[in-house]
Parts: sequence; structure tokens; C-alpha cells
Amino acid sequence: MGHHATRHMMRRRNSGPFVAQRDGTYVMNLAPDVQAMLVHMFGELRDVLTTGDSNEPTLQRLFPVAYHQDPESNEEYQRLMRSELVASRLAAISRAVEVIDTAQNQAPILTSGDMSQFMQSLNAIRLLLGTMLDVSEDDELHGHSDLEDDDPRLAQHHLYAYLGWLLEASISAQMNRGEIR
Amino acid sequence: MASTTEAPAADAAVDEQLDTDKPWIVLVWNDPINLMSYVAFVLQKLFGYSNEKATELMLDVHHKGRAVVSSGARERAELDVFRLHEHGLWATMQRDT
Repeated sequence: MGHHATRHMMRRRNSGPFVAQRDGTYVMNLAPDVQAMLVHMFGELRDVLTTGDSNEPTLQRLFPVAYHQDPESNEEYQRLMRSELVASRLAAISRAVEVIDTAQNQAPILTSGDMSQFMQSLNAIRLLLGTMLDVSEDDELHGHSDLEDDDPRLAQHHLYAYLGWLLEASISAQMNRGEIR
Repeated sequence: MASTTEAPAADAAVDEQLDTDKPWIVLVWNDPINLMSYVAFVLQKLFGYSNEKATELMLDVHHKGRAVVSSGARERAELDVFRLHEHGLWATMQRDT
């Protein structure tokens, strides 16, 4: 194989928002304003988790029913586990923010554990946004042609799609490395 | 520690004993938000399934509305549900029927 072909493959492997490194880490290749947007959204997610109304329908999506056939057991489960789930989500958010903040204008470096925390937090934002927008599987097929150009929901749908793309990229980066344990 | 040789006091107790012997199953339900690739990835990551097995389960979730992703003792099932909830999947548990 010639050098050009090798370089071409290297470029392909080294492109995208998350690039796997030889030492097991990932480099996050995202523009500073995108990183800032993510930090902002992670902060909003943290606020919702710490101060939001836990019975609010949108937030409920982050805390699904565990015993769907047994309300009594579910109540007990939620009483015992809900705070743990909040703590776990807050820890993941803190780490995701810390990784970006400490990079200070350099490309953030994520360990495989960081990547997992980042991915979970990204997905949590997507779950909240998707619930808020009441997305359906049809949206993916048919888009949002019913929305006017100046409809504020259009920008939110675009954001939702972007977060999906970013999530997909984080999964691909981990899958390519065989990071499944 | 409970003895396994004790005779049940009544039929109801027998039924209860049989009932508690049944394993618990953990189900993942379809939802319009989670990406198919994400669901398959999480199932591989949490349960060590092969890519093929995880994809098969993910497709069951997508097409049939739900899939059983693990089974076992109640405590184990609760832990699995918790880990799936941590990852944002819509998971529930029930006694196997």
C-alpha cells in the first residue's frame, strides 16, 4: 500500500468529532462555540435535575417506571433509587463539563470512561428535547415540512438532529475501537 | 437462612413459593427518541452481548415494541433496570410468566 493511500486512510480515521488515540483516549474535535453550547446545555440539564419538578412530564422521561405492572413496588423502587439515578446523572454531567472546561481552548481529551459519561449526558439532553418537541418516528422519515420558516421549534428540531448526529459519532468512535465493556 | 426442606403450611404458601421461584425479566420498550445504534450499543456495553445479538434485540424493540434483555433474580433485575435507566433506555421489569 502506498503512502498516499495510507495517508488517505489516516485522514479518514482521524476525521469526525471524536478521534480515537493510540493511548486509548479520544480527542474531541468540535469548534469552541459548539463546546460552549454543549457546556451550556449540560448546565441546563443539571439545573433541571436539581431544581426541576420531578413530576413534570418532560423530566419523567429521565426517570421511567421500573415496575410497569406493580405500582406499589414501583413506588418503593423510586423511593430507593431515584436519588441514586439523579446522583449518577449529575456525576456524568459534571465530568462531561469538566473535560471540556479543563481543555481551555485545546481539543478536549476524553478517557473511555469520560466518553461514556459524555454520551449518557448527551443522550439525556436529547431525551428531554425530543420529549419537549414530542418527536415521533415519522419525523425522521418526513421531516418538519409542516413548520413555518420562522417557527422557533424549527431551530430546536435542528438542534435535536445535530445532537443525534453527535451521539451517533460518539457511538461509532467507541464501536470502531471495540469499546463495549 | 430459610430451609428448603420445610413443608409449606398451606396451598397458598405453595403458590407463593412457586411464584417466587420464577425469574424476573427486564424489558426494553420502543421509544421514538433513542437511536437504534445507541440502544444496540448500550445492550452490548451493559450485558456483553455480541453485536449480532444486541442488534437482534434492538430490532425486536423497534419492530415488536419491546424485547426481554435480561432475566434472573429480582435484585439483579433491579440493577439491570437501573443501569438501563442511567443510559436513558425505557426499561421495566416483571415476573416471568
